Amino acid sequence: MFGLLNNSNLFQWIEKLINFFNSIFFILLLVALSFALIISPPDYLQGDSVRIMYVHVPAAWIGLASYTCIAFLSILNFVFKIKNFSLVTKSIAPIGLLFTCIAIITGSLWGRPTWGTFWAWDARITSMLFLAFFYFLFIIINKFIKDDTKANKISSIVAIIGLVNIPIIKYSVDWFNTLHQPASIKITGTSTIHSSMLLPLFLMFLVLILYCALIFLMKYKTEIIKIKKKNLKR
Amino acid sequence: MIQNFIYMSGYGFYVWASFALTIIFCGFIYLKTLRTLKKYERDFAKEIDELSVEKKRIVLENSKIASQVLSSYNKSI
Repeated sequence: MFGLLNNSNLFQWIEKLINFFNSIFFILLLVALSFALIISPPDYLQGDSVRIMYVHVPAAWIGLASYTCIAFLSILNFVFKIKNFSLVTKSIAPIGLLFTCIAIITGSLWGRPTWGTFWAWDARITSMLFLAFFYFLFIIINKFIKDDTKANKISSIVAIIGLVNIPIIKYSVDWFNTLHQPASIKITGTSTIHSSMLLPLFLMFLVLILYCALIFLMKYKTEIIKIKKKNLKR
Repeated sequence: MIQNFIYMSGYGFYVWASFALTIIFCGFIYLKTLRTLKKYERDFAKEIDELSVEKKRIVLENSKIASQVLSSYNKSI
């Protein structure tokens, strides 16, 4: 089974998956955008501004999930020293930073009509800013420290320290007095969002996840080629 | 009707800006990632091409990735 996970076998699958994702991406994007911008109804209280949710919420989910993934893979990398894990974390980090920034910016654009301000130093928003900072640090370390082993070690430590921030982001709306509304979608318990809004939300999430997979595969492929290129010179 | 769709009961600026910025950022990162990948593929293929015949044969025999990158590079030129 582990033979399937070697870079040569993965490389062939990556090529096929990139082509497949590219072929379905635009159709799915058009369907999701039609639901998000046209078909879904306006909110009874927030009106059409609720449509910002369809990019803001999936972006925040992806930002959080990517970081959690990086931190856990960093822990595993520390324990088992599996080189592929550091390639995976390096490939995920830019995606996480991108979506954390999108969540902050779209949140700010949503905040203006709903709260009357673009920015507030509130627990959820500030902790999201910290998340972007941790991503930034992780990427900078891997980019500027030339010794790979040293870069992996330091960036893994940063990722693990930043993991503390994840529950703070998740529960900030319950623990602190904040402007941000509590979660409407719950994994355990009943969600307080109507299905006419839930469908476009999940469609947009699906499209963005597909986009993430595309970027991840291209970045992972680049990292494999970088290693092969280095080995060629030896 | 189109005017209402663009205006979005006064929230048009915020809604369109959110979607437009997301698409622009994602598009930019997609193009940058694709360009970097193509650059590394091209450089790697060129380096293999420049090897001596014997060394090239050994590299291509031992690395599926090298032969795959080289063949897709040769197809593209």
